[in-house]
Amino acid sequence: MQQDVTQGATTVLEYLAKPLKALQEWLSPVLPGDEWAAYLAFALYVLIIIGGALGAVLSRNLIRAMLGLVMTFLGVAGMYLLLASPFLAFMQLLIYVGAVCVLIFFAVMLTRNTDGGEESRLPSLGQLFYGALAFLAPLAVAGPFIVMHAGRQALETPKTESTASLGAGLLGSYVLPFELISIILLVAMAGAVYLAFRGYAPKRGGEKT
Amino acid sequence: MELSNISVTGLIVLIVACLLVIALMVVNAIVMVYAERKGAGFIQRRPGPYEVGPWGILQPVVDSMKLLGKQIFVPSNVDFFLFFAAPVLAFFPVLILFLPIPFGPVLTALKVPDGIVLILAFAGFGLLANLLAGYASNNKYGILGAGRAVSQGVAYEIPMILALLAVVFQTGSMNLSEIAEAQGRWPWSWNIACQPLAFFIYLVTLVAETNRAPFDLPEGESELTAGFHTEYSGMGFALFFLAEYANMLLVSFVCATFFLGGYKGPFLDGFWWTFIKAYAVMCFIVWIRWTFPRVRFDQLLNINWKWLLPLSILNLWVTAVVLKIVGP
Repeated sequence: MQQDVTQGATTVLEYLAKPLKALQEWLSPVLPGDEWAAYLAFALYVLIIIGGALGAVLSRNLIRAMLGLVMTFLGVAGMYLLLASPFLAFMQLLIYVGAVCVLIFFAVMLTRNTDGGEESRLPSLGQLFYGALAFLAPLAVAGPFIVMHAGRQALETPKTESTASLGAGLLGSYVLPFELISIILLVAMAGAVYLAFRGYAPKRGGEKT
Repeated sequence: MELSNISVTGLIVLIVACLLVIALMVVNAIVMVYAERKGAGFIQRRPGPYEVGPWGILQPVVDSMKLLGKQIFVPSNVDFFLFFAAPVLAFFPVLILFLPIPFGPVLTALKVPDGIVLILAFAGFGLLANLLAGYASNNKYGILGAGRAVSQGVAYEIPMILALLAVVFQTGSMNLSEIAEAQGRWPWSWNIACQPLAFFIYLVTLVAETNRAPFDLPEGESELTAGFHTEYSGMGFALFFLAEYANMLLVSFVCATFFLGGYKGPFLDGFWWTFIKAYAVMCFIVWIRWTFPRVRFDQLLNINWKWLLPLSILNLWVTAVVLKIVGP
């Protein structure tokens, strides 16, 4: 009985898909080949990433800036989906939206967030200079690399890697970079604990802590 | 439908699935409001709703009409954009959450290889929405409720993921369909039989993750009036309400798929077993809401960090060792 239901549903779906397929064929001379959906998705994700980033940088309110960040993370997750790695996309959302942004929010709420805070003023010239430096540094690292590999032909379609082989790679051939990243996280955590507890250290005999 | 070859037919499947999920959410909210009020009545030895319709079954319909008709009230000095973004952000991710759930052998909208990661990833948006609502309301109760929601949500997510991970270890797959398929037909061959501790941990954390009593501290009415949604009225409140019941339904479906055999059941497999099992878990959630007193906030965090987290790590470790010895 279930087989019949599946058959029937497939027939109905094919019937429903007919006008959409006709539309796709009618538009095909205008659209760039078969990859039009990928181009469309790419353009959409780029717009989301840039829009979110601008929102994060330009908004005068920390929470709105964080929402811009969430939007950027969503766009980056979409890019991972386009590269045929859904696991990475979901992990991006799970870790950055579900944990990092929520913790940023928590930190913002714990500190006093007034409208006249530092983030609501226009940046000074020095700040702008450092901002430009921070923007150009990754470009200086990645730029020569991109120029070097500019002529190389990319893969036709992204290769899908299973989650199992991803895990085997992380614990096999790429175990050293993987462990190095955890050391960086450990250092960051130790620094955070040190900064948080410095103010609470018991003062001994007028000694400065 | 596989994620890798999205076709026009696949898109239509997705659109139909989204519409069906919205219908399921609304019907579920209506049924559960009635079941909850009637159940509360029976547990507290009072009749519950009985005025509108026979045995009061039209009460939720009248309630939703009332909610639709209410004036939308915006308190002064709120961040207007964030105030209205929060209920929308609470409602829409739930649509995606239901897509990878295998309701039946063929009744699955999106057969992704990492279904459970997708569910956990988009579940984070619900927490973010609660936070935004509490912050944007410009209300001290709202801020306190949001603060409690974040420390509770982030804390209880860890044992929840570890409990689900034990089942993933055992099955060797993160695809919900494969996890349901790997279980047998009778209760002793379901995952609850070999992972009872993981099932218990998941049951506790799902109550906490959906902000339900006895863990409903973010909206505890005796201390915070209504917590993060104090200032919402009309449709804003209705969206939070729908999202809360939809989240309850979702964790019940995940529980049914991971631990209770999914669509497999005695005599005849099919979507009816998924629904029966999920609504049994829902009834359990309603039952403990009206029987257990609310815990204190320090107790809530102590239960998590001192009991559930070590227990779930131990469970995961034992599962891994047993799997290494016995072989998958």
